[in-house]
Amino acid sequence: MRKTVTGLRAWLLQRASAVYMLAFIVFFLFHFLLDRPHSYAAWHRWMSAPGVSIAACVFFAALLLHAWVGVRDVLMDYVHTAALRVCALALLGFGLSAIGAWVLRILLAGTPG
Amino acid sequence: MKLSISRYNPERDSKPYMQDYEIEPGPQDRMLLDVILSLKARDDSLTIRKSCREGVCGSDAININGRNGLACVTRIAELKEPVVLRPLPSFPIIRDLVVDMTGFFKQYHSIKPYLVNHDPVPERERLQSPAQRELLNGSYECILCACCTSQCPSFWWNPDKFVGPAGLLQAHRFIVDSRDQAKQERLDDLNDAYRLFRCRTIMNCTEVCPKGLAPSRAIEQIRLAMVKDSL
Amino acid sequence: MEKRRPVFFNLLQIQLPVGALSSIAHRITGVILAVGIPFGVYVLDLSLRGPQTYARVTGMLDNWALRGAAIVFVWTLAHHLLAGVRHLLSDIDIGTQLPAARRSAWIVNLGGAALALAAAGAWL
Repeated sequence: MRKTVTGLRAWLLQRASAVYMLAFIVFFLFHFLLDRPHSYAAWHRWMSAPGVSIAACVFFAALLLHAWVGVRDVLMDYVHTAALRVCALALLGFGLSAIGAWVLRILLAGTPG
Repeated sequence: MKLSISRYNPERDSKPYMQDYEIEPGPQDRMLLDVILSLKARDDSLTIRKSCREGVCGSDAININGRNGLACVTRIAELKEPVVLRPLPSFPIIRDLVVDMTGFFKQYHSIKPYLVNHDPVPERERLQSPAQRELLNGSYECILCACCTSQCPSFWWNPDKFVGPAGLLQAHRFIVDSRDQAKQERLDDLNDAYRLFRCRTIMNCTEVCPKGLAPSRAIEQIRLAMVKDSL
Repeated sequence: MEKRRPVFFNLLQIQLPVGALSSIAHRITGVILAVGIPFGVYVLDLSLRGPQTYARVTGMLDNWALRGAAIVFVWTLAHHLLAGVRHLLSDIDIGTQLPAARRSAWIVNLGGAALALAAAGAWL
């Protein structure tokens, strides 16, 4: 049971998601500095473009996985009672999944979150 | 020269306390250990581990002004006064500046710090090219003083599960040894959320190593070896 | 029964090298950012829902309290990002020796603060 999420897998996930988010943030910042949307319509149009919308979904997937690995590390360092740690990790997992579902609704469903 | 040294006698004291000393270093006294031994000549109850007095045995590792180091190679001229001496952080104190190293050595032994080779024993040596021997540099020189491991926050939080910088440096020493045949098993053993991956590359280990080694870099190299292995 | 041995573990008396400062701030900023994710998603939601809520979002910096929060957010993200890049580089063996590592830690610590000051300059 010890190797469920091996150290390497979690670490690689953390690094890969970080690299993607870095690229996305740089791209996002550049776009905002050079071509800021000046109205709701422009913003909504840009975010609805398939490329941006999908890249943003992947960004949030990366963000939630990155947050999962990071907060899990914090819990593993400081929470030594196994039962308490498992509960905290479960809550973390559910919380992040809920946020993921919320983001999907906002970005893809076109309906108000 | 003013010093403040942590004292603790388990038979007398309920907890450690700081004792102040003042001493004029002799003309030959250059290292902290010289001063400590002069103090011991005055007060024989002052207790510290020491042996080689030249930085190769690792016995006199203590916390000096907040930073771990070897007393025998720490120059007194470079120390800010009052010099505060404490035992290595987080290790159980046996007496004064002497700590229990059992946990530290347990982690060291857990990485199998010996050559694993199932080939028949050769007549003379198991051969190694200079380039292969070069790979051991930076790892084999560890004197197991525990300066690194007792300054590592990740080790503080999980001393029983995280191997620690010294143990991982030695694991690296055997992983890169061309004569060792257990590389896969060593990597698998360390590929665990706790054994190696508690390391956050804080780099306190490399900061305090009295031999100038870089355990944090060795740990990164092990991670890269694991990545290469998994691809 | 053997008495439990005491330990020396006063964090205020143990030295914090510059890399360790960078590292603990990396962890603290990470936790702050993680806790802030729901708020970020909420703001995104408001901005895409309709013109009225979009106007609320663009008008956020008019509120002094939110302006302060935004500056703190800039420092938090900047430090976490810069420290993260430092980690990614050390993963590929760049800056793993002590002098380079100390230098990069200083750059990370000061860089985050500098970006926060820049934001404060722009928004205050």
